[in-house]
This record gives sequence, C-alpha cells and structure tokens, in this order.
Amino acid sequence: MSAENNTGDVLLSVDHISLAFGGVKALTDINFEIRKKEIFAIIGPNGAGKTSMLNVINGFYHPQDGEIHFKGLHRKQMRPHEAAVQGIARTFQNVALFKGMSTLNNIMAGRNLKMKANLFWQALYYGPARKEEMENRKFVEDIIDFLEIQAIRRTPVGKLPYGLQKRVELGRALAMEPELLLLDEPMAGMNIEEKQDMCRFILDINEQYGTTIVLIEHDMGVVMDLSERLIVLDYGRKIAEGNPDEIRGNQAVIDAYLGVAHTN
Amino acid sequence: MEFLTAIFIQPFFDMVDDPVLFLQVIWEGFVTGILYSLIAFGFVLIFKASGVFNFAQGIMVVFAALTLVGLHENGVPAFIALPITIVVMYALAFSVERLVLRSLVNQPDIILFMATIGLTFFLIGFGEFIFGGEPKMMITEELLLPYDSITFFDDMLILQEIDIAASVIAVIALIILALFLGKTKIGIALRAVADDHQAALSVGVSLNTIWVVVWFISGIIALITGIMWGAKSDVSFALSIIAFKALPVLILGGFTSVPGAIVGGLIIGIGEKIGEFYWGHLVGGSIEGWLAYMIALVFLFFRPQGLFGEKIIERV
Repeated sequence: MSAENNTGDVLLSVDHISLAFGGVKALTDINFEIRKKEIFAIIGPNGAGKTSMLNVINGFYHPQDGEIHFKGLHRKQMRPHEAAVQGIARTFQNVALFKGMSTLNNIMAGRNLKMKANLFWQALYYGPARKEEMENRKFVEDIIDFLEIQAIRRTPVGKLPYGLQKRVELGRALAMEPELLLLDEPMAGMNIEEKQDMCRFILDINEQYGTTIVLIEHDMGVVMDLSERLIVLDYGRKIAEGNPDEIRGNQAVIDAYLGVAHTN
Repeated sequence: MEFLTAIFIQPFFDMVDDPVLFLQVIWEGFVTGILYSLIAFGFVLIFKASGVFNFAQGIMVVFAALTLVGLHENGVPAFIALPITIVVMYALAFSVERLVLRSLVNQPDIILFMATIGLTFFLIGFGEFIFGGEPKMMITEELLLPYDSITFFDDMLILQEIDIAASVIAVIALIILALFLGKTKIGIALRAVADDHQAALSVGVSLNTIWVVVWFISGIIALITGIMWGAKSDVSFALSIIAFKALPVLILGGFTSVPGAIVGGLIIGIGEKIGEFYWGHLVGGSIEGWLAYMIALVFLFFRPQGLFGEKIIERV
C-alpha cells in the first residue's frame, strides 16, 4: 500500500480535541487528519486513549474541547446514531454483537438505516417492503461471501468462536456501507492464521469498496504492514505521526513502548 | 383419606360431570388471562428495550382509563376522547424519555427501577389532581362495546359480550404487535437494543426513538387493558393492583419473551379460575388472589428463566 491510493482529500479532521472524565484527562489536544481511502492506524500503550479517540469520532463521547470536521462539515455534539447516519461504522474491542440473533440477522441489523419502506408494508411483508428486503438480503449475502462465513449463516453468534465473532462484527459494520470504518483491535485474541485472514479482508475492503479505515491494533507487524500513516498516543497525548518507517525510528515512540530510564 | 380424595380425585370428577360448567370456568379464565397477557406484554416490551422492570405499568393502565373517562365526563364525546387519550399516552412516553430515561442512561438498573416507582406516584397524584380520586364508570356504551350476554346449552353457558369483545380486541392487538415487532425495522431495532445497547447505537439505531416507541406502545396497551378491565369493574386507582398479576405471568413466561407473556397470561388466568372453582372451597375459597404467586414460586424452583426466557450463558 502506498500513497498512490490517496486522493489527498481530507475525510475527517480532528482539531485540538481534549476529553476528560472528571479529573482524569483521557485525551489532550489531539490533532490529525484522515484522508479519503487511506488506512490509518492509531497505536499506543494500554490506556493511551486510543479507544477514547474512536469513541469521540463515532459520538459515544463528547469532547470538552476541540472540533471535528467530517466530510467538511463541522460537528461538535453528535450522537452515535447520527454518526452512523453520516457513514461512520465501527467494531468494538470486546465484540459487541446481538448474541441472540444469527449471523445473517446480525449483519441484516447493519442494514437498519437502509430500510426505507414504511412500517405498514414492513409489517405485512408485502409490496415495496418485500422488494427492499430482497435487495438488502442480496447485499448481506454478498458480504457473507466476501468474508467467507457462508457456513455459519444460521448459527446464533453467541455460539461462535471469538475469531468468527469478530468477522461477523466486521460484516455488520460493512453492511452499513460506511465511508469511514473504525476497527478497534480487530485482531486481538486471534491466532496467526485468523490474523492473516483479517488482514486480507481489511486490505480488500479498502481496495474494493474504497472505504477509509481507522485501525487500532497492538500487533506492530500488522500495523506496519497495513497502514499508510499512523499516529502514536501516550497518556492521552499524540507523541508522533507519520508513515510506518518514520514511526519505527522515532525515539519518543520507542521510549513510550519500552519505558525510559529516568536519570537524575 | 377423604381429604386426599377431595384434592386429587373429586375435582376431576366434577369437571367431567358437568363439562359445560367446566367450559364456563375455562372461558372466565381465558378472558382474565388474555388481559394478563396484554399487561405482561407491556412489561416485556419495556424490559427488553431498557432492561428495567416498569413498576408504573399498572398505574399507566389506570391513568389511561381515567383520562378517557375523565375527558368524557367533561363533555368530550367518546370518539374524540379516545384519540385525545392516545395523544396523551404519546405525550407521556415522550416526557418519560426526555425527563427520566435520558438523564439516567448507563445508570444501574435499580436506579431506573426506582425512577419508575417515582413515576407511579407522580401519575397517581397527577391523575387525582386532574380527574379526582373517586371511582368512575367506564364509558362502555359510548365506545359501542356490547354489554349483553349470549347463552348456550339451555342457558347453562353464559358468555358476556363485553368479554368476547375484549378477547377479540386483545387478540387483534397482540397479532398486530407481534407483526410489528417481528417484521418492521423498529421491531428489529428493538431486538438489537435488547441485546446490546452500544452495538445497536453503532449501527444507527437511535435509543431515544426506541424508548419513546416502546413506552408509547406500552401506553396503548395500558389503554386497551384499562378500557376492558374498567368495563368489568370500574375505573379507580385500585385497578393498578392487577398489574402485579403480571409478575407471576412474567416469571412463567420469561421477562424477555413476547410469546411467553401471552402463554403465561393464559396459564395464570385459566389456572387461577380452575383452582378457585374446583379446589378453593377446600381452604375456604378466595385462593384466586394468591394462587398465581404460588404457581410462580413453584416455577422458580424448576425453570427460573421461564418457559420461553433466554437462558443466560456467560462465556468466560
């Protein structure tokens, strides 16, 4: 992956964002820009504020300071469902699926916003609702093929192994046809094969659908392979930004990860 | 020995002996049961969407019926009072979401439960303040509900027309709601919310809208129950007691299951009438009041998640 994939247009810009819970500062004065169609990574040690940053982007948290522009539009207080309406989808660090439902229905739930037929027809499953359901169903089947989860179509997701649950969750996010896809540790707890599959999916999504992807991940090999640009957070502050090569050689990053011996 | 016969043998002889009477008892039980089902349905909806046991469900029944009757007493024709009452129930749902739920998001369930207790007392006070505290007659006639009775088998089986109407309306309401919840976008969103708030939010479900919708539907159910129950007795605050009958129904059916609420309601309704009629005299009668709770208690020993409830399995 390289720069030719970038159009250079900014999709999301984060300006001077600060977030605090009571006296605890989760994020301090964070700035960065995400360009259209890139794969952008956020890394940092545990508790650095990575997930908080994602929660700010999709509206779970409201920062006390700073501005976010998405698709050129300013937004400050935004609720999660509004973020979804605008085209931001996400997955969660601890898989958040609808455990009682099958794989198929979980991914169908991602089509929630695309269902437009009125409630009356939907209840009767007739007329426009039927046509709409078929179209959405087709879309969902394509995602199921894409993620190679045909075999677990009807399985209640609560019964699936962790790796597959993560894949279903990714499918649900894809069903929203997002412009910006936020992935919170998509490979945590996976074995090497599962990780390789997941990497392949992420690259394919980026290429085939042109989806912009923001990725939080602890596996440095994965991050350096996948991402075009990344930022590094530590204690809620941005300590570095750049492409993988620049980050690898950055002394502040090495210090943050390995710890620094403080000499008096 | 005689006592055992009276418990285990005689009642069944009585049933076979006079099947028409048995049928009558079952019918009475069915009519009560279907109303229990409706009330339980209201509970289940709110429980699924917000994980809170809505203590105010019973008072909502009274409040809806009181608004309807009160408006009519003040000179509003019945068929205008009905839509106005529906609007009032919507306003109630909207205010509950805005003033109570929204500020209590992410609080422990017990806090929300306390809030619904608060809501109960508010509605009692508010209802009394506006419409007065004395019992009122339901405006059965004005709503064109029938009040005759039909008899079968040489007057041995008597069915009140109002009961038939109540059952038909309740069944229709339950079917419409089942379709609505099973097939529509809101229904699917509701199931999503019931499963995982955060995930539901992330796929674009608005929690606030869902809450207003479920409280409004519960309000409509309360109105239907209030009309039907009010027609059988009268409209007073004592009516809210019937909501507690929904508790054994929910234990039987499972707090999260819509079919459970319906089947549970019927089991409790029919069970307590049969119990009262064939066994009640053994202990001096009036077991109808507590039999339902006993059934629920026994049930808790063997199937705590209810007939249809989800068994909660935590994977560690």
